Amino acid sequence: MAKTYSLNDDSVVVVIGSGAGGGTVSNELAQRGVDVVCLEAGNRLTLADVVNDAAAMDQKMGWHDQRLGAPVWLCKTVGGTTMRWSGMTPRFRDFEFRAKSTYGNLEGTSLLDWPVTPDEILPYYDKAEAKMGVSGTHGMPPSFETSNFKVMKAGGKRIGYREITSKRTAINSVARDGRPACQQIGFCWAGCAIGAKWSTLYTEIPKAEATGHFELRTGAMAIKLTHDADGKARSVIYADADGVLHEQKARAVCVAGNVVETTRLLHNSQSNLFPDGLGNSSGHLGRNYMRHVMSLTLAVMPGPVNFHQGTRQSGLILDEQHHDDSRGFAGGYIIETAADQPYNIAAFVGGWGRETAEFLDDYPHIAGCWITGEDPPEAGNRITFHDTERDAYGLPVPVLHYRDHPNSVAMRQHGARQCERIYESLGAKRILSRPDAGGGCHNMGVARMSDRPADGVTNRWGRLHDVPNLFVSDGSVFTSSAAPNPTLTIVALAIRQAEHIAAAMARREL
Amino acid sequence: MDQDQLTRRRFLVAVIAFSGAAGSALRPDLLSMSRAWAESVSTLDDSLRQAMIRMARLLFPHDALANDVYAEILDKVLSDTASSTEFTAHLEAAAAALDRQSGGAWRELDETAQIAAMRSIAEEAYFVAIREQVRVGIYNGAAFWQHIGYPGPSKGFGGYLYRGAGDIDWLPEDE
Repeated sequence: MAKTYSLNDDSVVVVIGSGAGGGTVSNELAQRGVDVVCLEAGNRLTLADVVNDAAAMDQKMGWHDQRLGAPVWLCKTVGGTTMRWSGMTPRFRDFEFRAKSTYGNLEGTSLLDWPVTPDEILPYYDKAEAKMGVSGTHGMPPSFETSNFKVMKAGGKRIGYREITSKRTAINSVARDGRPACQQIGFCWAGCAIGAKWSTLYTEIPKAEATGHFELRTGAMAIKLTHDADGKARSVIYADADGVLHEQKARAVCVAGNVVETTRLLHNSQSNLFPDGLGNSSGHLGRNYMRHVMSLTLAVMPGPVNFHQGTRQSGLILDEQHHDDSRGFAGGYIIETAADQPYNIAAFVGGWGRETAEFLDDYPHIAGCWITGEDPPEAGNRITFHDTERDAYGLPVPVLHYRDHPNSVAMRQHGARQCERIYESLGAKRILSRPDAGGGCHNMGVARMSDRPADGVTNRWGRLHDVPNLFVSDGSVFTSSAAPNPTLTIVALAIRQAEHIAAAMARREL
Repeated sequence: MDQDQLTRRRFLVAVIAFSGAAGSALRPDLLSMSRAWAESVSTLDDSLRQAMIRMARLLFPHDALANDVYAEILDKVLSDTASSTEFTAHLEAAAAALDRQSGGAWRELDETAQIAAMRSIAEEAYFVAIREQVRVGIYNGAAFWQHIGYPGPSKGFGGYLYRGAGDIDWLPEDE
């Protein structure tokens, strides 16, 4: 049923990227009868390609084009970063949509309230959870409680936490939607070998193909968007796997390349009409780059945990996902289980010598958790492009500028201490926290949504303020980062955006 | 992709996944290292080899592991045409520096003095490169896995759902 469209067909919506945002918006449009061409820079893997080793998977699907500055963890593959994610799907809490009103004037930040209310998002969280099969929602049982989760739960209770749950993971807790239940294979962060964890590779993409309204082009790297004299997006120029350029006409375009490529594509599409980058009249494109406050804690427990026996992240603690000035920082964080292979644990422990080796000797006794917390936006945290360095596509090399706000430093210290207390309460023999672990997995904010065009790049639908038929469909539109892992919110916003686009098309407004 | 490339990528992934900013500082070195792979295999003279086996053990000392385990890690990197020449140069640099620090044969010192000499060169690029090869070699190797009872990736035997997942018997039964 997969269809093909001509390069000159200007009735199609071109979606750039096939991950959480692009894959979802593609399928949701195709289900509504809208013709979609999806350009994916990477290749299409199958489940047979998945091995439970993060490094081997990175070879197959990591995004390895040159970047400078802060490292990021992106995927160049069908499914994008839904091929490399934990599956954790907590929701934003209401206050997190109103960051500026709730936290007040946080010095040095560019905080802003979302132009969308929690009530408007609520039905789309429901739709996203139902689509993804999130555990503990919509009739799906909670996730299996791994030993690592049981340790976190017992310790969390001892230090007074009450919102400890094995719900909210987009890994099938029972067989559903043609996909099996989780078998607790472990070390599946970089791909689920049986398809129990939601990824657009084997959900949204084949479903879109089955509609007869969708074409996926792999190895297709978007280089530049063109626009007409009225400032409407007209086409996408992309390089195929051989580096040959093609131009696909479009009725509308949805950009979902994750923060780096989304910024670069719009930046690279500058013209006389848009001299600072397409849709960048506000100057906010590439700015307000957020990546969450993270910290990882490992503890050697009195008894065996065997955290290799099961999913890396099988549950969370939500008690700290609130705003309380008395903790010494604004915003909240979430505590989630974490586990990794021995050689990665050794890297985490760091150093060498007897102490490091002894920690590894205790591998079967190690329990682990990490935090993901709100990272306030700052104008100076941004993605720019090198003046002279060019990559294999001839595109300017991205430079990622990122530094912690003092609020993030304070939150991270608090979070690490709480994680340590969880394990201390159970008599851990040794505890290590690494404050700089994990940065660059969650990326948000470079084309943020705002009510006023001067405050952001996109409007409440993720449409560029400056360009009436150009949308951003990935985490770049986040106005603030909130604490939760971003994928659920990206999917919810993408469903909502697709409804909006299809309705606007039906009304001939687009 | 050959095994050595895989090992190097594993190293990079581990460093970056868990080390964040520290990882980014290491990265350019590693990337240029991978480009500089040469095309021949070298062998070490016995004294150098014995010194480096000793150093490998002191990097990640596990009493349960035989010297052969450490020797095999070095041999594996050395036997790979892609990495052999460069790794040999790292080992030679390390051995020479250790002897220099010791004012004689480092290998003849007692363990405390050997470790002190290693500490004095621990920030050198060659030392870091050796340390990372040994780290991945030990902790991604069958001997260590056997030592801790970790069977490796479980996809092949169908996961742990019916093989121990969730089994834990020492947690307190509070509240």
